Amino acid sequence: MIKLMNVTKKYDDMELLKDFSISFEENEITCMFGPSGVGKTTIANIAANLVTVDEGKVSGTEEAVYSYVFQEPRLLDWYSVYDNLDFVLKDIYDIAKRKEVIESYLEMVELSDYREFRPKALSGGMSQRVSIARAFAYPSNILIMDEPFKGLDMKLKQDIVSLFKKLWKESRRTVIFITHDVDEAISLSDKIYIIKNRPVEINMIIDVKNTNDRESIKNILLLS
Amino acid sequence: MKNSILLSKYRNFFIIIFWITVWEILSLIINQEIYLPSPFATFKSLFDLMFDKITYITILYSTYRTLTGFLISTFFGVILGFVCGMNKSIYNLLNPLVSIIRTVPVMSIIIIAIMWFKDTNVPVFVAFLMCFPIIWTNTIQGIASADNKLLQMCKIYSIKKTRVIKSVYFYSALPYIKAGMVSALGISWKVTSAAEVLSLPKYSIGRFLYDSKVYLEIPDLFSWTIIIILLSTFFEKLLKKIFEAGKTND
Repeated sequence: MIKLMNVTKKYDDMELLKDFSISFEENEITCMFGPSGVGKTTIANIAANLVTVDEGKVSGTEEAVYSYVFQEPRLLDWYSVYDNLDFVLKDIYDIAKRKEVIESYLEMVELSDYREFRPKALSGGMSQRVSIARAFAYPSNILIMDEPFKGLDMKLKQDIVSLFKKLWKESRRTVIFITHDVDEAISLSDKIYIIKNRPVEINMIIDVKNTNDRESIKNILLLS
Repeated sequence: MKNSILLSKYRNFFIIIFWITVWEILSLIINQEIYLPSPFATFKSLFDLMFDKITYITILYSTYRTLTGFLISTFFGVILGFVCGMNKSIYNLLNPLVSIIRTVPVMSIIIIAIMWFKDTNVPVFVAFLMCFPIIWTNTIQGIASADNKLLQMCKIYSIKKTRVIKSVYFYSALPYIKAGMVSALGISWKVTSAAEVLSLPKYSIGRFLYDSKVYLEIPDLFSWTIIIILLSTFFEKLLKKIFEAGKTND
């Protein structure tokens, strides 16, 4: 379990997080739900060891192996789709295993025919699918997804959400999922933290896994 | 319509003709070959040079010196640029030295080099010293331009430092290195000729420039200058073609 305890984070003179605590359960999908700019990405980046805290404690990150679906695809423009996946797997698998893993994930995101394309030749949605395939193909135990379905059309979003569910059931990982889309939050999450701004705090925790009344959750999220 | 298409097709030709005409008029007004030879006298001298074997040997030697200086500076400029771009302490250590090289007058460097090296190596050394800061600075700028978001992605996926250098920093720096190489190549031609004028190696364009000044053969001076311009333009275009070919085969 990753825990942020009484964390304070300042940017210049602005205090973004003050005495903030949150925990992400092992092998569960925890969603941080809230408006843009509230500080969700900073919280995720602290959990991912990308950002250090000024005060407080972060635990559970020592043994963590991360993969991350960023808001934007963050692909290497000078490499092909295939090589972008190969880039992150090179130090982990031998060439034959890499080929097998990459081909299977490209097939899952329906990009097998585009394996030799450069990211600049792909649409925004296609690039994001490459980024998702990269995150899934990487053998992490913590997966962070920062608004991963932004820019995808409805049909593709549904396909990838069900693909994600399938993959996650097959190989469970701790997932930190950021969104401000109500349907995404409900359909994917085990637990939802509703994050509020000024000061950044958890306004409400919803245990989606043990709640059958999805309509009520939807209403709460819409009103938050 | 037809006229404008024709004009745009032969635009460069007309521009050249225009400037040659201006040159001709000026030379007629001045009417002293020692100050400004006519285009005819210059092209006649150029024509004569084209049928002299020595011209080609001279061009070969000067090209060798220019390219050697340029390639050595590219090699060290890129390597040290990477080292300094990745390590602030080494950058701080080397930066004052490169700043000095950049500001020292080229003539001082040539004269110092004449004391240190034999005549044929002076232009190579001077070209190296003049081109190195350009490529070094461009490489460092290119490394600084590497996208932080990509570096963050590499950190998340625990990519080894050597692979980050090869796959992120190198490709980010590449357009800067290429631009630096193109301007360094042009400078290399200029400083090699200047260094040859003072160090006077046996076969060198600089020696011919010097001789034409001593013997007041001004059309020759103009012809050799035209040869330098043509060589510099040719190699610049060749370098750009190589870069373009590299892009498509990437």
